[in-house]
Amino acid sequence: MTADDRIRSDGGIDALDPPPTDIMDEETLDPEALAQNAPKLETVVQLLNQPALARVYVYVCYWGPVSPPEIMDGLELSKSTTYEYIDQLVDLGLVDRDDSIRPQQLTADPIIIVEQYVPIVITPTVLHALALQEVDEDVEYFMDRYGTGKLIAALRGAGLHFAGKTTQRMVATDIDVRETEAMMIIYALEPALTVGRTHDPFFEHLFPDVHDQMDLSSLDEVDGAPAESDSPE
Amino acid sequence: MSRSNPLSSEQDVLVDANIFFAIGHPSNPKYARFRSAIRNAGVVCKLPQRVIGELGGSEMDRVRTALDEGWAEIIDAPSPADGDAVAASDIATRTIANETGKPEHEVEKTDAILAGLAIQYVRDRSTERVVVLTDDKPARKGIENAVTAQGYTDVIFVYGLTAIIGDDSGDSMRLI
Repeated sequence: MTADDRIRSDGGIDALDPPPTDIMDEETLDPEALAQNAPKLETVVQLLNQPALARVYVYVCYWGPVSPPEIMDGLELSKSTTYEYIDQLVDLGLVDRDDSIRPQQLTADPIIIVEQYVPIVITPTVLHALALQEVDEDVEYFMDRYGTGKLIAALRGAGLHFAGKTTQRMVATDIDVRETEAMMIIYALEPALTVGRTHDPFFEHLFPDVHDQMDLSSLDEVDGAPAESDSPE
Repeated sequence: MSRSNPLSSEQDVLVDANIFFAIGHPSNPKYARFRSAIRNAGVVCKLPQRVIGELGGSEMDRVRTALDEGWAEIIDAPSPADGDAVAASDIATRTIANETGKPEHEVEKTDAILAGLAIQYVRDRSTERVVVLTDDKPARKGIENAVTAQGYTDVIFVYGLTAIIGDDSGDSMRLI
């Protein structure tokens, strides 16, 4: 069975239960190796628990290098809030700050966590979806009612829908929400798919089957897109 | 920007629930454009009770607004009973199964029934033209195939949202 076969329409991945013992070995369980990974685990937990922080991280990750004023404008944040989040992200090691030029320039490497046995898939697109609750009342409503896990399932369902592989009512049944709630969240998550498709290098990890089949607005058409950095394609 | 609105006052417009989510909240420019298109055409969106479901959830505010403003109404469309209408729902089911790669028994009945409701509507009322609006692509394909197979292409027209308000989605999507 390939990885593709295990991806369910509800966004989960069929996992062997329980996982075979040999997926972990002495090397991965070495205390030194675990200690090295511990900060990464903590940073991801911080992002998942603080959607406003995740929003700044995703902005820097997608559109960096950017300056603090650009973040303020792009995300409509106050100056003090912007610097507070930047400091927090720099402390967590998620954002790099270049002080050698003025204004300072910020960049962030995309993060990815894939754990097929839980299953968990976290990429910038997923963090973007979570961050949308800060600015979209439909995402906020869905999160309040159903939580992070189901939002990620809805994100996967939305991607499959825009690729024509499922109807919105099928998504509702798959993730066990009302039909109209599924319709609402599918459209509310469209920005995360629209941007992720072109900016998230790990988009294929979330949509190995349909990453190039989604019928979404192209970024060029979208008014108010943050200014693109000059990155050679 | 000029575009030809395919809607006109001599049509009955049956609308699936997803249209009201594709246009967003009443504060969204898309919502305003859709409302204008409906009003300018002199039609009222007819929402079959069985495709719109309960109005209970808070996500239904956009439907309630349209009902309150009078450009949408809930209708009690009779179930497909006519032979053409029943067959239409079956064709829609098969098309959706084919499009999505799912077995037919996993196709949601409500996705397929709109095809049957549209044909039954035409049979009952001898309406000259019926427009069906749905923004769900596999479901729309199902209705289109059913209408074609049953020979109703000169009476029933199936459109997505972009046919009504255009493709310029950029004015309303906040990226992050």
